[in-house]
Amino acid sequence: MADLSVDLGFCRLKNPLIPASGTFGYGEEFSPFMDLDILGALVLKGIYKDARPGNPPPRLCETPAGLLNSIGLAGPGADELQNVIRHLGAATRTPIIVNVCGQDDGEFAEVAAIFAAMPEVAMLELNISCPNVKKGGVCPAQDDKHTFRLVKLVKAHINKPLIVKLSPNAVDIVAVARSAQEAGADALSLVNTFLGLAVDLEKRRPVFANTLAGLSGPAIKPLALKLVWEVCRQVRIPVIGMGGITSGRDVLEYILVGAAAVQFGTVNFCEPAAAVRILAELEKEMERLQINSLAEIKGKLQV
Amino acid sequence: MQDESGRIEETRCLGENYYLLKINTPLIAREAKPGNFVMVRVSPSLDPLLRRPFGILQSDPPHIWLYFQVKGRGTTLLKNHQCGDRLDILGPLGNFFPELPGKKILLIAGGRGIVPLFGYAKTHAAQQPLVLLYGGRSAADLHLLAELGAMPLHKSHIFSEDGSCGEKGLLTSGLEKIITEQRPDATMACGPEAMLAALAKMLKAKKMENYVSLEAMMGCGFGVCHSCVVTAADGRYRKVCDEGPVFPLEEIRWPT
Ligand SMILES: Cc1cc2nc3c(=O)[nH]c(=O)nc-3n(C[C@H](O)[C@H](O)[C@H](O)COP(=O)(O)OP(=O)(O)OC[C@H]3O[C@@H](n4cnc5c(N)ncnc54)[C@H](O)[C@@H]3O)c2cc1C
Ligand SMILES: Cc1cc2nc3c(=O)[nH]c(=O)nc-3n(C[C@H](O)[C@H](O)[C@H](O)COP(=O)(O)O)c2cc1C
Ligand code: FES
Repeated sequence: MADLSVDLGFCRLKNPLIPASGTFGYGEEFSPFMDLDILGALVLKGIYKDARPGNPPPRLCETPAGLLNSIGLAGPGADELQNVIRHLGAATRTPIIVNVCGQDDGEFAEVAAIFAAMPEVAMLELNISCPNVKKGGVCPAQDDKHTFRLVKLVKAHINKPLIVKLSPNAVDIVAVARSAQEAGADALSLVNTFLGLAVDLEKRRPVFANTLAGLSGPAIKPLALKLVWEVCRQVRIPVIGMGGITSGRDVLEYILVGAAAVQFGTVNFCEPAAAVRILAELEKEMERLQINSLAEIKGKLQV
Repeated sequence: MQDESGRIEETRCLGENYYLLKINTPLIAREAKPGNFVMVRVSPSLDPLLRRPFGILQSDPPHIWLYFQVKGRGTTLLKNHQCGDRLDILGPLGNFFPELPGKKILLIAGGRGIVPLFGYAKTHAAQQPLVLLYGGRSAADLHLLAELGAMPLHKSHIFSEDGSCGEKGLLTSGLEKIITEQRPDATMACGPEAMLAALAKMLKAKKMENYVSLEAMMGCGFGVCHSCVVTAADGRYRKVCDEGPVFPLEEIRWPT
């Protein structure tokens, strides 16, 4: 059987499949559909210090092969999530990644420190790229200098690997990626959702209260794949690619452009057992294409 | 909760834009309670991407029945399915109307809001007095009257806005009189938001237990995406898919 394991430098995952933040709840919601131990790792829904109600409804709008969301990072605060993680840690051996959010740099560092101190948490993912919190979709990952400052600060507060999650809405994502690397990021993950606009023609207004919302799902795959390819060629640290993954073939495409591992998000909503199918497809495709290990094809796109 | 490949065994068109589907889903049918819903993948392709939520009209294992109105792309694809086709169905989802043994209950259904109440009526009509209040725009929006007529309901009142079926008028116009005459202990309602908001206003001063089944845009149907929220009376959000779809009427903040 093909070797599905992947090397992130600071740790090895048994396979490259990681459910994306905000699309996999707090993990246990998916245990009716799969053994969580089959996953390479899993990312929990983004967390702030305090509980947040999220944005007013409507929060979702379907687009062709995609999804616009304006959830606004609704969720419990850090205290409650710690209890959830203790539970989850006892239920699975799969590495748990906490998606860290903050309203300012200080909160990012504080939340990161809380979870980095938990033995159940394998690594952190710094969500500097959510488009649904500030009006206009502004986030730290749009600016390379802010990214540098923030990553440096957070790294100083933690002793666990840090993945920095980038935004496709930055003018120069490569510059932001380099900044994150220089500031000490152990890995990058990309992309978060693309800013989009939905219009209610009857009311002649935007559908969402925040005007703009984040687009995800198969519709964004070519755009996301391009950004992952560009960033992979310009950084030394591992890159976790995502955007529109729904199949084993999609996973191989991301690895081929240089990703070390992948995350899959929206597909979890339409198919809660997606991970099981994608994993089976990945093995089958590798067999069909006579790929013995993912390392063998990583970054081997011929252009 | 199961993600089951269901087999369509019967399709029935109920006049303009309304359809019934009988689907073989033994695992879901076995667990389903009146008021639960399912998420149906209407097409195996990636567009449309999301499953569509539908109430379970009735479950008689190994089958569930869906009753739906064609609204847009998803429901058009669904109506075009044939006997023998398979559909991925996630369910049963959400909570259900409470059991209130011995109590006299007024069931209030606006249009396809009949769905969660139909199963409740079928399961409970023989054990306790149920009064049905069912209304729609016209006869073309009111179905299953024969099936409802065959249930041992205490009483039923049908309303249509154009008078083409039952009494003429909005169902809310008959509410006051029915409550005075029947003195129910509780109400259970499902229908358009405007109707539910009107009910909330009318029932506010009455000493009854009131429950309502809600709809919202749903991404996942099982509590993980946080897209399906409604505003509660306390100003906080509730997720319709896993905290509902059934809520105490007074727990929801209604538009004024
Ligand atoms: C818990 C729950 C139970 C439901 N049960 C039933 C049922 O038993 N029978 C039935 O006919 N319908 C039911 N609905 C509504 C049904 O889900 C929508 O009509 C359907 O999703 C529309 O899909 P579409 O692709 O045809 O429409 P789209 O093309 O997506 O949209 C067309 C129009 O339909 C309306 N719509 C879309 N999604 C929803 C939604 N989730 N809720 C309400 N309106 C929507 C909007 O006004 C939209 O403009 C239920 C909804 C929920 C949340
Ligand atoms: C409903 C929803 C909620 C999300 N919440 C988060 C979040 O809390 N933190 C985060 O970093 N990304 C969040 N994302 C972004 C996803 O993790 C992912 O980057 C994006 O959806 C692209 O992947 P996909 O096309 O496979 O869905 C969310 C996406 C969706 C659709
Ligand atoms: S539909 Fe996803 S949380 Fe309710």
